[in-house]
Amino acid sequence: MNLHQFADWLSNTSFSQTIQVTSWAIPGIQTIHIICLAALFATALMFSLRIAGRGLSTEPLHTQAPRFARAIWMLILVLLITGLLLITAEPGRTITNPAFYAKMIMLALALAITLWLTGVARRQLESPTAVHVAAATIAMLLWIAIIFCGRFIAYVESY
Amino acid sequence: MTEWLEWLQNSPLAVSISEDWFPWVESVHVVCLAVVAGSIFLVDSRLIGWTSRHLRFTYVSDRLLPWTWGAFIGAAITGTLMFIAGATNYAHNTPFLIKMGLLVLAAVNMLYFQFVTFRSVQNWDTGKPIPAARAAGAVSLTVWCLVIGFGRWIGFV
Repeated sequence: MNLHQFADWLSNTSFSQTIQVTSWAIPGIQTIHIICLAALFATALMFSLRIAGRGLSTEPLHTQAPRFARAIWMLILVLLITGLLLITAEPGRTITNPAFYAKMIMLALALAITLWLTGVARRQLESPTAVHVAAATIAMLLWIAIIFCGRFIAYVESY
Repeated sequence: MTEWLEWLQNSPLAVSISEDWFPWVESVHVVCLAVVAGSIFLVDSRLIGWTSRHLRFTYVSDRLLPWTWGAFIGAAITGTLMFIAGATNYAHNTPFLIKMGLLVLAAVNMLYFQFVTFRSVQNWDTGKPIPAARAAGAVSLTVWCLVIGFGRWIGFV
């Protein structure tokens, strides 16, 4: 079974059909997805700024890091669930789309950097080095690119 | 009004957006709205008393709101560019009109909070804010979620 056959099979399942025929389902799921991406992006921004010694900078980083991490992973979970629902509803538009794959590769990179940085920050990172600040900056650029790719799924031709 | 909207939509800038640049403008709009809504959610969450109660409210809002306003300018510019690209349609698009109404509501809530509730901030800057402040946070959180919902719905009618 190739990707196209899988997409056809998935879009014909009764679960996918239910989402497709419910007029408010796709905009509704996308709305939850955007609300969570906004919360995630702002939280990631505050964490990256904190690494660079700005933002909410009066509190020690190691006491802040677990709260940032918890919020980020909870939001990622909701984003994954709503993202999977959107793929299930329109598999032909997503799993054969180059923008979707670019998004997933960059997501893996952004999550790896976040996992590493929150881990380092938890272990009493008192004075972040240029490497940490660079990683935090790259993570923010990746989140921006991920948002672009997510929107471009709607415009790039599936193969 | 209709003539003006048609003139707007047929301007070289509007034509160039609708033919070539719409996905790019829309993506920048999403990045800006993420900072606007996300930073507002963080401030609202402190205002309601859910998070960061060990930090002063004014400290959290002072550090976050400059980002909110900077990104709001970006969201307003990209929003206007998308509007002129399809001005005659958006002027009759119900979710778009509801979204604009909700933005006015968010502004009224913010102004009331700023000029009435916020005046007593020194009494509730630490710990859990007073009910009026928590209500302003809850209204803001709800309205901004609805702004996102109706904003997304614009493209579906």
